[in-house]
Amino acid sequence: MLTIGFVAAAIVIVAINVALFVAVRKYRAERGTAPATAGGGRRVQFRVGAALTLFAAAIFVVSVVFTGKARETPASGAAGLAAAKSEPLTIKATGQQWLWRYDYPNGSFSYYKLVVPVDTAVKLELLSTDVVHTWDVPALSGKRDAVPGKTNKVVFRADEEGVYEGQSASLSGQAYASMRTAVEAVSPQAYEDFLKQQKSDIETAQDRVVGLIENGEVP
Amino acid sequence: MSEKPRPELVIDGLPGKSRPRWIELATSADHKDLGRILISGSLGFLFIALVELLLMRLQLAIPENTFLSPVTFNRMLSLYGASAVFLFAIPLALGFFYYVAPLQIGARGTALPRLGQIGVALWAAGATVLYAGFLFTPSEAGVNPLAPLTEVAFLSSNGVDAWAAATGLCTLGFVFLAIDLLTTLRKTRAPGMAWRRVPVFSWAATISCWLLLTIGPVLLAALTMLMIDRNYDGIFFADGSGGAPLLWQHLSWIFFSGSYMLILIFAFAAIAEIVAAFSGRPLLNRGVVMGSLVAIAVLGTLAWMQNMLTAPIGIGWMYFAMLMSLALIVPFGLIVFNLIATMTGGALRMRAPLLFAVGAISSISIGLGAEIEHSMVAAAWQLKNTTDATAATHFALVGGAVFGGFAALHFWFPKMTGRTMGESLARISFWTLVAGLLLAFVPLFFAGAGHGQVIDAYKFYGDTGVDAYNLIASIGTLVLAAGIVMTLVNAISSRANGPDAGHDPWGGDSLEWLALSPPEPHNFDVLPDVRSAHPMRDIRDAIAHRHDRDSDAPARERQPVA
Repeated sequence: MLTIGFVAAAIVIVAINVALFVAVRKYRAERGTAPATAGGGRRVQFRVGAALTLFAAAIFVVSVVFTGKARETPASGAAGLAAAKSEPLTIKATGQQWLWRYDYPNGSFSYYKLVVPVDTAVKLELLSTDVVHTWDVPALSGKRDAVPGKTNKVVFRADEEGVYEGQSASLSGQAYASMRTAVEAVSPQAYEDFLKQQKSDIETAQDRVVGLIENGEVP
Repeated sequence: MSEKPRPELVIDGLPGKSRPRWIELATSADHKDLGRILISGSLGFLFIALVELLLMRLQLAIPENTFLSPVTFNRMLSLYGASAVFLFAIPLALGFFYYVAPLQIGARGTALPRLGQIGVALWAAGATVLYAGFLFTPSEAGVNPLAPLTEVAFLSSNGVDAWAAATGLCTLGFVFLAIDLLTTLRKTRAPGMAWRRVPVFSWAATISCWLLLTIGPVLLAALTMLMIDRNYDGIFFADGSGGAPLLWQHLSWIFFSGSYMLILIFAFAAIAEIVAAFSGRPLLNRGVVMGSLVAIAVLGTLAWMQNMLTAPIGIGWMYFAMLMSLALIVPFGLIVFNLIATMTGGALRMRAPLLFAVGAISSISIGLGAEIEHSMVAAAWQLKNTTDATAATHFALVGGAVFGGFAALHFWFPKMTGRTMGESLARISFWTLVAGLLLAFVPLFFAGAGHGQVIDAYKFYGDTGVDAYNLIASIGTLVLAAGIVMTLVNAISSRANGPDAGHDPWGGDSLEWLALSPPEPHNFDVLPDVRSAHPMRDIRDAIAHRHDRDSDAPARERQPVA
């Protein structure tokens, strides 16, 4: 899609600038040229207008086709999570000043880093607790805004294991530039293990806090 | 034409004004004085905006720089955005419209001069509020501060209030100026000047005024809601209590998209006048160009959601925004085609105004070409809020407001002052600007499209592969600034020291060149009977044919040739 857009932009830019350059080089007054009295009649205008309309319409149609493709939920592959074969794995991503929180289906959560199974369709539900944030991991998908009070979504599939870097892309206050995120694609088994580990870690930590409060060590 | 005032001038021999010049200027309701205030004031704010841009670029020259704190950076960003749009680009365009259009249509002044005076005063008040806010706490919310970041819960200092008051005062001023100018254009045209004979620049002024009357109140409404939210427990943009953060985006983008178009309409109209004058022949297909300018105003404003393609809005609205923005290819393309077609076959005099006009077309073409990508929904999902967008917007708007504005400045400076701006400094400034623009913004295309560097961030990280791009961009901004300062210096020094221009230095086609340079307060002693779209050309033809007057057309005979 970017390539098509780039080609369209390049055609426009090159055509205009070459025509300008030629006009400026060729029609100087000091070369003894007298201004022509006419040119570019109505028929030419219709042709140019029609050509421009066709060009715009072509870009529109191509764009609609590619946008439709980009909106499709990708199919999970064979190496992906078995539970997400038919329905995409749904994870909640909540933007908050200045951190992303990810809530997994089993009730555990993580901050900053999202762990997903490789080769699996993932649907992120984007929410915000405060201001507008934009979830942006360029290597995986296009960006989308998390607007408070609204749910936005983004779907992607990580084809290879590894860490994909991203950041927030809407000015959200002082620490906006540090509001980065990362998506780690791991094997389905490692993903399941991560969820279990995360859940037990969270429960341990919560139990500890509850214990401290009950013992009066924390006001 | 003779350099001395013509003998029939009724003000000859009247006693001179006793008050100092600056009091005369500050209390004047004359469109030329107000236009000069707007033009010189906005060029001053161009310099201030440039300083703010340079500070931000210095911060972004190296990765994880600590030159500016995050808060300072966000303040600079907010001030830069407000200064560039509300204090530089729109008032510059309006200033030229306000100065030139009444002269072009053969009016002796504007129809509602006090309203225009209040408009300029409101604009000045807005500028004062914005920079008075700078003394304590400027806004930290960015160029278009998206709700709910602007709510008291997130930014409790009064910076956002100052920003809203300042932009609101400016916008109200623009609306007043638009009412005045629109009335003038509709009611006080010279005899015979039908709409089809109105010069392109005055036609553009008409469209721009209608546009401001449409989009100005939208922003004023949004700002009022914001003020109520912040100061009277309103919930317009606050989520959770029935408010809608997206409402702000819709309302503000209607204004900002409209003003984007206004700046380009101004630029293309000025370029059209300049290209016609310096090609030695009338603009080809005026009617098509004039119609295209209307189409740009309508389609460009309807394309406001092109800025919201990543927001949670329906896919149908996204396609609507894409349709409107891609439809702009046709009117913009027709205008550029006819401009280049006029130059092709003309006898071009490459003086400073034409040089800047050509630079403007080239720069705008790069900006709008890149905007095509930003209008294609799936591509926009990748490119939005990256520095690619910064580069596209700056190519289009620096092309429109700086190159186009400087072209207009060089073109009408002789009319305003009676002197021409220095030609060699203009050339040096032009090429410095070209180099600066390319160096400053081409790298940002690569950083944004290739590496996803995000906009508005006060720092970038060294591991993201954009170090070199940012360093080049920072150096380029410095070069760009040098180019702009050269033209500002040129304008200031040429006011008193430039070569004498005479009344019609370029052989222009429209009526402003019939007036003296600078024009008398009442603009014209005698108004011609306008018989075509280029009355000054008719007058020159009539002078040329004076010796065989008997054989000439009777219509030309009646032209009042001074």
